[in-house]
Amino acid sequence: MTAPPDTAPTVLACGEVRTCVLPSRRPLDSDAAAQLLQLRADERVLVSKRPNLYVLSPQTLTGVDCRLPTANGAKVRVVGTVAVRAALTEGRILQSSAYFRTPAQGPDRRRPWGHYLIRPGVLEPLGRLPESAAAQGVLAGGRPGELDLGLIADGVLTPLVRHPLLDQRAPLKSRHTRLRWAALPADPGQGPAIEEFTLAEDDLRTVRLRVPAGTEPAAIAALCEDFALHDWLLTTVVRLLDGRLGPVEGPDALTALRPAVEHLMHLWMPRARGDRTLRALWDVLEHDPGFTRQWDNLVQRVRDRLALLNALPKQPVAQPARAGEKT
Amino acid sequence: MTDVFRETAAQPRTEAVPLSHLSLELGHLYMEDLADGRKGLRRHFERVRPWADAARADLAARTTGGRPRMSTCFLVDDYFSRFSTPADLLPLVLEEAERAGLVIDYLARESACAVADKVPLAQAVAGRLVESPPPGSYGARPPVSESGWLANGQRSPAGRSPQAMRRAEPWQPPSETNARRHSVFVDVELWDEDKDGNRTWSCPFLAAVWQLARLGLLRNEGEAVLRPRDASLGELPVEWDELPPLVRLNADADPFSAYRTCSVLPARFLSVEHAVRVILDQTDVDTGAVAQISRRTDNERQPMPGSVVERVSYVFYPEP
Repeated sequence: MTAPPDTAPTVLACGEVRTCVLPSRRPLDSDAAAQLLQLRADERVLVSKRPNLYVLSPQTLTGVDCRLPTANGAKVRVVGTVAVRAALTEGRILQSSAYFRTPAQGPDRRRPWGHYLIRPGVLEPLGRLPESAAAQGVLAGGRPGELDLGLIADGVLTPLVRHPLLDQRAPLKSRHTRLRWAALPADPGQGPAIEEFTLAEDDLRTVRLRVPAGTEPAAIAALCEDFALHDWLLTTVVRLLDGRLGPVEGPDALTALRPAVEHLMHLWMPRARGDRTLRALWDVLEHDPGFTRQWDNLVQRVRDRLALLNALPKQPVAQPARAGEKT
Repeated sequence: MTDVFRETAAQPRTEAVPLSHLSLELGHLYMEDLADGRKGLRRHFERVRPWADAARADLAARTTGGRPRMSTCFLVDDYFSRFSTPADLLPLVLEEAERAGLVIDYLARESACAVADKVPLAQAVAGRLVESPPPGSYGARPPVSESGWLANGQRSPAGRSPQAMRRAEPWQPPSETNARRHSVFVDVELWDEDKDGNRTWSCPFLAAVWQLARLGLLRNEGEAVLRPRDASLGELPVEWDELPPLVRLNADADPFSAYRTCSVLPARFLSVEHAVRVILDQTDVDTGAVAQISRRTDNERQPMPGSVVERVSYVFYPEP
């Protein structure tokens, strides 16, 4: 979408992505996914089937007028709207994503609300924005009463996971993960860069980026949704297999491996879509720590383990895990 | 580098609509306006005529380059009450307008603002309300869709039970967000429901939908809605439901939708239109449609106000 022409250049874009498994025994097909993600009656849900099934909701807005978290305690009031959307990948992994961008400077007093609504996903500061301190502040999380992107992302995610289309029988045990991101402008002539990717406690990940001027926040959000999805896959499979790839045999071994094989192993597909320039940032993560390297290793271990179980003399009949059973 | 591979279902799209510079509303007809028949209509159009001329002159003075494009429209209520028939009423309206020297280009039925050609416009607009956040809003979602009311600020804290009243909490005033020192607090009822859950949209809410239609900002899944259809006076139906939601009565008319709107209304509509502005100020209109209009006005070097509500203007004439 083109921004209104009078919008000042962006000096900071931030967002938060929530990722979880869809609480449904079967993955949703594209029609059901489109029905689930119809957040607005009059706007199309976007459905992409190549190279995998990916369904994206229309964008909705949440109005805010509050302080922006800042690392140095500077008090900055921002007014405007945070954009929120939801996506479902292969009918199985559900994400909600809240994001905004902000110009360096805003008016001294709040303007009529219609001014902000016509700039969807823009938060205008009252006065000047200390963008570096704000980027650090958002990544670290705010104090009570300060802008809460996670709350906004949850506001969309929570009704979706309770949707009547879903039978609430998740095929595997997993947690919701959170990924917060902040993007500052790159130096003129420089391409995009990842400055920091942190795995923090409590399933929180933070990403600090540099992006060329004029990069759409929606494109940065899409890149970070892709990071979040694959980070969730790694986190979930590592946890599923934690301590279970040892010399356990029989039903226990199968019970542990089955959900990963049936529901997750085909989902790995980094940079399936999105902005071409930003997609190149995957190379950074592939180099260090090597997301796909770790995934390939996990997949190989699972397959080796299954082959070994198969080759061993048959144990007393292994009961396959019942569908929907939490493991 | 361009993408070789495309999926149309994965790409957003917004149909463009033709646009005039100004949409001028010549009236909004309710049953009570016809209490004294033709005479009421005649009086109305006589009062409207000078303001219509003024709107046209103002437009000509402000249009830079090219011919000013202006269309006129008229709204007949068939939602809150049904009266007369299109075959009886429309010729009467057109005659009296013509007598005052006015041409009605387009005529719409009020119920078209609720549902037009099976598209639930009012429901869709209701889903686009984004409440103006009072200071201190950090991300909690306001429950607009549950309440059916929309305010321009913060309501007075809810009344307390008699027991709690003993503690004699002092009354707290409501406040208008972004007030200029003192508040003018307005709380607008958007709809009500009967015991079976059937929703009746309020007059201000339908009038807000009507403004958005005139501003060319309504879409359904990216497609234009409320497309005008031609009708000839000789073939008007006797049932309102058989009349197209938006009828083009003048084959040479400029496009129905426009960059700006002006409505000439009796002064008693002021409170309704204040409510309309409260709604428009909190409606997140189709982003693609807004962007198309911005591009067109830029190309035509037409200055455009930033927000939607500022594109709407009125003339309130005194009665009688």
